[in-house]
Parts: sequence; C-alpha cells; structure tokens
Amino acid sequence: MVIGANPAENHPISFRWIQKALDKGATLISVDPRYTRTSQMANIYAQLRSGTDIAFIGGMINYVLQNELYPKDYVVHYTNAAHIVAETYSFDDGLFSGYDPETRSYDKSQWAFETDENGNIKRDPTLQHPRCVFQLLKKHYSRYDVDTVCNVTGTDKETYLKICEIYGSTGRMDKAGTILYAMGGTQHTVGSQNIRAYAILQMLLGNIGIQGGGVNALRGESNVQGSTDFALLYHDTPGYMGMPTTVDPTYEDFLNRITPKSGFKTNFPKFFTSLLKCYYGDNARPDNEFGYQFHPKITNGKNYSFLRMFDAMYRGEIEGLLLFGSNPVIGGANTYKLQEALGNLKWMVAVDLFETETSAFWQKAAGKDPASVQTEVIFLPACSSYEKEGSVTNSGRWMQYRWQAIKPKGESKPDLEIVHMLARRLKDLYKNEDTPAARPINALYWNYGDSDHPDIDLVCREINGYEWETKKQVSGFGELKDDGSTACGNWIYSGFYPGDENLAKRRDNKDTGMGNFLNWAYAWPANRRVIYNRASADPTGKPWSKDRIGIYWDEAQGKWVGNDVPDFVATKGPDDPTFNDPFIMQPDGKGAIFSAAMNEGPFPEHYEPYENPIKNVFSSVNLNPAVQLGDKALNTAGDISKYPIIATTYRVSEHWQSGIMTRNVPWLAELMPYMYVEISEELAKEKGIKPKDEVIISTARGEIKAYAMITKRFKPYKINGKTFHHIGMPWHYGYKGIATGEIANRLTPHIGDANSTIPEYKAFLCDIRRA
Amino acid sequence: MPEYIKFVDVTKCDGCRACMVACKNWNDLPVATEEYSGSIQSHEKVNAYTWNVITYTEHETADGGFEWLFRHQSCLHCVEAACEKACPEDAISHTEFGSVVVDHDKCVGCGYCVQNCIFDVIELATYKDKNGKEYRKAQKCTLCTDRLEQGLLPACVRACHSGCLQYGKKEEILAEAEKRLEKVKERFPNANIYNPPGINGSATVYLLAEKPSVYGLPEDPKLPASLTLWKDYLRPASKALMGVTLTAVLGAVIANARNKGPEEQEGGQDNQ
Ligand code: SF4
Repeated sequence: MVIGANPAENHPISFRWIQKALDKGATLISVDPRYTRTSQMANIYAQLRSGTDIAFIGGMINYVLQNELYPKDYVVHYTNAAHIVAETYSFDDGLFSGYDPETRSYDKSQWAFETDENGNIKRDPTLQHPRCVFQLLKKHYSRYDVDTVCNVTGTDKETYLKICEIYGSTGRMDKAGTILYAMGGTQHTVGSQNIRAYAILQMLLGNIGIQGGGVNALRGESNVQGSTDFALLYHDTPGYMGMPTTVDPTYEDFLNRITPKSGFKTNFPKFFTSLLKCYYGDNARPDNEFGYQFHPKITNGKNYSFLRMFDAMYRGEIEGLLLFGSNPVIGGANTYKLQEALGNLKWMVAVDLFETETSAFWQKAAGKDPASVQTEVIFLPACSSYEKEGSVTNSGRWMQYRWQAIKPKGESKPDLEIVHMLARRLKDLYKNEDTPAARPINALYWNYGDSDHPDIDLVCREINGYEWETKKQVSGFGELKDDGSTACGNWIYSGFYPGDENLAKRRDNKDTGMGNFLNWAYAWPANRRVIYNRASADPTGKPWSKDRIGIYWDEAQGKWVGNDVPDFVATKGPDDPTFNDPFIMQPDGKGAIFSAAMNEGPFPEHYEPYENPIKNVFSSVNLNPAVQLGDKALNTAGDISKYPIIATTYRVSEHWQSGIMTRNVPWLAELMPYMYVEISEELAKEKGIKPKDEVIISTARGEIKAYAMITKRFKPYKINGKTFHHIGMPWHYGYKGIATGEIANRLTPHIGDANSTIPEYKAFLCDIRRA
Repeated sequence: MPEYIKFVDVTKCDGCRACMVACKNWNDLPVATEEYSGSIQSHEKVNAYTWNVITYTEHETADGGFEWLFRHQSCLHCVEAACEKACPEDAISHTEFGSVVVDHDKCVGCGYCVQNCIFDVIELATYKDKNGKEYRKAQKCTLCTDRLEQGLLPACVRACHSGCLQYGKKEEILAEAEKRLEKVKERFPNANIYNPPGINGSATVYLLAEKPSVYGLPEDPKLPASLTLWKDYLRPASKALMGVTLTAVLGAVIANARNKGPEEQEGGQDNQ
C-alpha cells in the first residue's frame, strides 16, 4: 500500500522493484488525493482528502479489530497490546489526559503503564483487561467507523472497504503487506502521527520484522537516510542518541537522561563516549568528562527547526547562515516571508551546483532592490555526486559506496572538502586564543590529512571506530567502550569497515535468500537487512511460514539461523527472558502500539489541517493541540470563506527538489518546462477556466501565476455532505535556470508538525481565478 | 542471425520519460521545447529532434472506469516501410537488424517520406551549412543501429527501469508478449498486440492496453498500393527513361498518396 507517496514519479528506481512484485502477483494499492502515475500502475486507487491519513488508517485499524484479522500470537507476544495503562490515562473529545492549553503541551507522565511492586509493567495476555493497550486501542478507533471515515476523507466507500479487506488479509502470517510513504505522509501538522498510524496498523497485522513487511520511508534524496543517521537535525547526535541540552550540565546528567534501564539503549554510554573520543581525541579524558563540556548544548525545550530558525531570522536574531545544497526560497514554507528574513542576515554562504534562488534572493528577479539588501552573500561552487567519492545510504539502510567518475569541473569542490578546509582555517584562526568560543575548536581532533584535500578513507575508518591506542579498527559496536579507549564516529555504522575491507564497497548481487543480498554493500546495524527480525519467527522460534523465512531458532545448533543477520546475540535461546522481545530499541522489547513518546498523545487522533475546510468531525478540537504556532508574522492562516479550495504540492519525475539541478539540465527542462496547476474539469467549468489558460492561485500568504492543467485525474470530493474542490501544484519552479516558473511555496503555510516541525506543505486552502 | 525486435509493453510503462532523455543523450539531439500543451505531455508527437515521446492519454473506459494511458511513441520500423518506398533517392533502407535508417549522404530533404509515413514519425530537420545556407535531412529513431552494431541495447531500452521496453529475439519476445497479453486482459479487456500485418509487421512491437485508435494509431495500417507500384515498378522505369528531375515531378504526384494536408505538415515541423 502506497500512501503519502508516489514512487512511480518520485522514486522511479524503487518502482522497478514494485513492478517486479506486481509481476509476481502482488496487489498494489495507491491512496492519494491525486490520481498519479503510481495510481495508474496500481490495482486499486483510492482518493483521500489531503490531511486525512489518520482517519483513513484509523478506520482500517478499526476494521482489522472488528473483523479479528490480526494474528493474536504476534500481537500478544511482540507488541505492547497486553500492557496495562495507568488510570491517569483518558481520552475525551479530542484531548488526552494531561493537556495544558497554555503551553499547548501534555504531561506525558499521565500516559504511563501500570507497574507492580518491582517496577515491572503489568500485562494481561488475554487482552481482556479494560485498560490494556488492546482494549484502549479498540475503544479509541471504534469511533472510526467506515461511514464517518469516508465522510471525512472523501473516499468512495466501496473502494475503501475493498482496501480494508485486501490489506487486512495480510494479517495472515503467511502473507506480508508493506506500507510505502514519503512526504505526503509527513508534511502535515499531524505528520508524525500519520506515520505512527501506519506503524500501528502494521504491528497489528504482524507486518513488522518479517520479510516483505515494514513501514518504508521513501527518501526524497539519495542520502536522506545517511544524513539523518549522521544527525542532520538539530535535536540529535550521530546514531540517534539525543542532544546535550541545558538540563544536562554534566556528562553524567546527560547519560542518565538518554540511557534507559533496560533494552539495547543501555549501551549508549559506550557509544557516546566513543563519539566524544572521535571528536576530541586526547582532549577527551576520564578527568574532563571526555570533553563533554566542549560539546554544544541546546537550550532545553527550545525548537531550533527550520521553521523556528526562520522565525528567529525574521526577528533579526541570526547573523549568518551556511547553506549546503539548500534552497529555502523554493523549498521553505511561506517563502515571501523567508526572503524577507534572509535580508536580516549579515552574511550568507551558499554552497551549490548552480546559482540558487536563495543565493540570489537579493536580485531584481526576486523582486528586490539589490541596493537595499545589506546581506553579504558568498557563493561556493560544489561538485556533483559523480565528481566525488563517498557513500549514500538508502531507505533500506544500505550504505553503498560510490566512486568518482569524473574530476570536479572548474573550481567546484565536494562538500567534504569545503567543510575540511573550513575546519582547518578555523583551527588556525583560534589556535592562540583561550576563549569559550576558541576552546571547542582548539580541542577538536581533526585528523583527515595535512592538506586541504581530506583523506576520505580516514573518515570512513573513524565512522567505523577504532581502539584509540592501537588505532586498530573495531569489528563492530559490541567492542566500543565507555572508558575512552575507543573512538567511533557513528555507532550504528560500526562494523562496516572492520579490517582492511570497506564493506560498503561490496557489489555481490547474488541473492543470499529472501532477496536480502547480504553481500551487497552494508546495511546498518551489523549488516542486518530487516530490523526487529526476531518477529519473523513465532514465539517458539519457528518460522511463521515456510515461504517467508527471516531467521529462526535452530535447536540443534543452539542458535538463530536463516536468511538474515539476527537482531540480537544469535545464541539467545528460549530460556532467556527477552527471547520474545523483538523490538530491541524499546526498553520493554515490545512494539509500541501505545506510546508516550509522541507530543500529541499515545494514539494517533485525527485533527484537521491548520487551514481546515471543515470542522473536525471526530471531536471539537480542530487543530492538533500540540502544534506550536510560531511567530505571528509568519504563520498567517486563511479561512474557508475566502479560500474555499483545498490545495496540495508535490514533485514530478522530471524535476528534483527545488529544481536547481534539473531545471538547469536542458533535456529535463524540456520535459517539464512550465509551472502548472492541476484542476478538475468541474472546477474549471465553475471558474470559467479553459485549457492552457493562465490562472492565479491565491492563499492568505500571497498569490502566484501558473498554467491551468485541466484533468480528469482530479475529482471534487464529497466531504461531510458538501462538495469540495482541490488543486495540486509542483513546487519545483523558481526564477533561475532554464525552466522557470512561479514558486508554489510562496503559498504554503508556515506551520509545522507537533513532533518534527516539518511544515504542512501538503494541505492548505486557496482560491483560483483566471489571470 | 536470428531476428530481433524491440517490444513496448505499455502496461508496464510508468511514464517516467527516462527513455526520452536517454535518446536525446545518445543521439545528441537538441532541445526542442514546445509550447504549453495543457497536459504533462512535453511534445505533441515525435519529430526530427525528438525521436521518442511519451504520450499521456486520459481515457474513460466503456464501464465508466478511468485509465491514464502512457505510450512510448517512436518509429515502428515497419517491415514494409512507406518511407523507404517513397524515397526517390534510395536514401532509406533496412539494416540487418530490421531497423529502417536514413543515409544522410543520399537524403536530399525532399520530404516524400514525411508525407508518406503511416505513423507520422519521420520529419525533416533543418541545418545550416558553413555559408549559412539552410538544408534539410529526414530524421527519426534509428533503433540505435549504431549501438546494435556494437552489441549494445538501444538507449531507450537500456534506460527503461520498468521492463516496459525490451529488446530481444523476436520469437521469444512474441511468445512472452502473448502470455503477458492474457494476464493484462483482466484489467484491459481491449488489450492487443500491435504488429500490423498490413505492413508485414514491424521491428517495434507494442502490447497496447486499449484499441490502437485510443493511442492515435491507425487500427489496421496498410501500405498504399500506389507506393508499391511507384517504388517497385514505375520509378525504376521512369528513372531509366527520363532522368532524375522528372522523377521528382512524378514523385510529387505520389507524395500525396496518403492524402495529408500541407498545413498539418508544417505544424508538425514547427519545433524550434
Ligand atoms: S523509460 Fe520505460 S517506463 Fe520510463 S517512460 Fe520510457 S518506456 Fe515508460
């Protein structure tokens, strides 16, 4: 089931494998507001209103529960369905217990599990206890009956039921269903909970940890997975260990906060100390908290995300900005305002392949008077992926090494080289200074060669990790220590370069079984292809089905064997108390159907988008109650009375991201030369719009011009008894390059998800008229 | 040598257009951006600078369903090729690979092939010589004959990720095509294999999801009898008797064998 994604257009190579599955008889379901190229390839297409995934999936969860399509053994043993929730938990009219409207946040301690006198979570394996997760789940989603769901999502009821039935049939353990999602799932004020909803459905159907299952994020860029693993985001460190904040004054405080009492994460002190050793080398010692005080700390509770960074920039609180392959004037939300914010910077450095709209935000073409912009802009030419070597990590967590094909053109350089040169200059600049700013830079252990050209092999070896004294590479994260005797740049990758062979360079395309290709490149962690693969076998350790073998317990050999690398110590036998705990990253080893980690509640609940076409049907709470509203100057919202049409944005095969690479390639520009807006025949008729007309799309943030694309692929929705129109626009265009067009993100709202703060690009309100 | 063909299974095409880029790249074809068409289709049809085009057809089926039909449109490489027959200069011929190619040393840019091609594939490209004088040459897909000669797949086939474009032994491919046809009939009851008998088949064979006419293809294309008459009997005789100039005049009569209006022709060539 593809929901919130369009792989045929945005991930065509992934579609090659989907096509192979179709050839083998798989059923492909496409759920999308628009009929896309993926929808055409699918066996079943269902239209849903943008922003109603939780209603859609919630209804499926309800269907699976009502019709008992779930595999009980899996659900009882591998998820937290049997856990008993504390009495403090409640849900009433759209709000969970513990809500504080002042801060728009919850006291999550009210969503705890009930424990016995020894601190163990109470469980009811019969799933009958009225406060066990299973019963609460059932109660929560009983409100998501088919009629209410279709009323909210606008989906045709018959199609919806067909999907429930077919997808629900993957609850049989000899079958598997996978969910593919992308930005259509995440770019909402309820984005994280959309994905949670997919995960709950998958756990309920026994589709996690098994071959062919999973919740699969289709990454929008070849190395999104890699950059996230290496802590591209502000709130994390490499290997997802969390970020030191102002409530962690000492290293001990920090470790206490990030290290749970049980589960695999009890190893975090080893991994973080090795990370500090890799950052600060001999300046990371037991007597100085391994250099913890050199590490930057963010203000506790402060949000440094993209949206909040631009809020701060708008208020003039930020002086300088480094942009690597980033073009926020096209890719941000409400970009008229972002452009103003950029003008408050003293300086900006843009590193890119071509001049971007962002690096040119001060130009006449951007509607600016260059003389009035004081920001000093420096442009550094970067080279493309073919002009450098390094690795990319795909959605399957495979780290795949790539080699340089041609030398960089002109003065362009790889990002790594630019950062390396910058670090060397900074170290030089601060070397005679002893100030708070200088100390971390002086302490930094920067050992990638003595020239401006870094030795990338040294970077690889450091990521893998090594013994500090001998410089001997470790064989995996199991060898990392918390006493400063090992250094490791990213524990999850530890093991990809154990000796003299960089395993990410492997290219053996022989199928080692179940399509796992264990000798092709390297998958973190520990070259395992399916995480939580303990769940691929039943509670006694036998495969659920002979046709779908992940790993299984071999009594004779006394270890786990099969088609994958076990997700735990291979000799962990039935006597071990954690034998039935597949979800090793959870303290209790169980899949979290109920989770107190999310900001807006333990179960995903449907809320309307920031700009909502209808009042919420499920409760009187319209907007996700945990969404932070940000700066008033940027978060302008429109109302249905002025903007009656639902809008969404998307990408196409022919262009990529902000288009700066593809709009500059003549043969790609030729295929998609013009900015357009897709509208239904019905809407066109209502507005008197003819094919090829130029039209103006307006939102509370501004207006843009585009060509009308009148299509049968867009159909009005019937929602809550009323007809609604919707439109869609690609967001690739801008005023630089060969193919130019107006910027869709001038229209999108500057509001983000309650957990990740990703902007709500996918659902907002607009109006449209002939130009 | 066994016979090879290119096979286009449109039911596997996801409309990504990698084949279009690969074609321009290998054949070093210039950009020929067209005006906004009202749909995502980039070019109205193939032309002298764009040898394959993905067409996107929004089709309502008889039972009220909807299909968005994609087709990789390019030269079919007819076994009985109208362009070859119409060419007064013998510039067009079949290669050992079954591909129909234009010998540009011989082509004088008269355009008879353009007027006679049953599938509207071949077009005249305009060039300038070193004195700035314009001249024309007929251009179209070559089935990447230059690649085939090197043992490589046609560029479009090489780029296609979905299995829509294939190249291989004719018998094997056609046998597979029949199987595939059976399979797709469930969803596309009108599906058919397009390998027109009226031209003795072609070196590019399609599996179409709908009737040929839905894709703008003639249902049952035939080579006009006049062309066969011209090529095989009249022209050799007239050439021997009257010399080249008169042949051209006579050729002009034949040129309208397909009864195509001149405006339509010009429109098709306006692709700068
Ligand atoms: S490359 Fe293949 S899938 Fe893509 S448009 Fe061409 S024929 Fe279709």
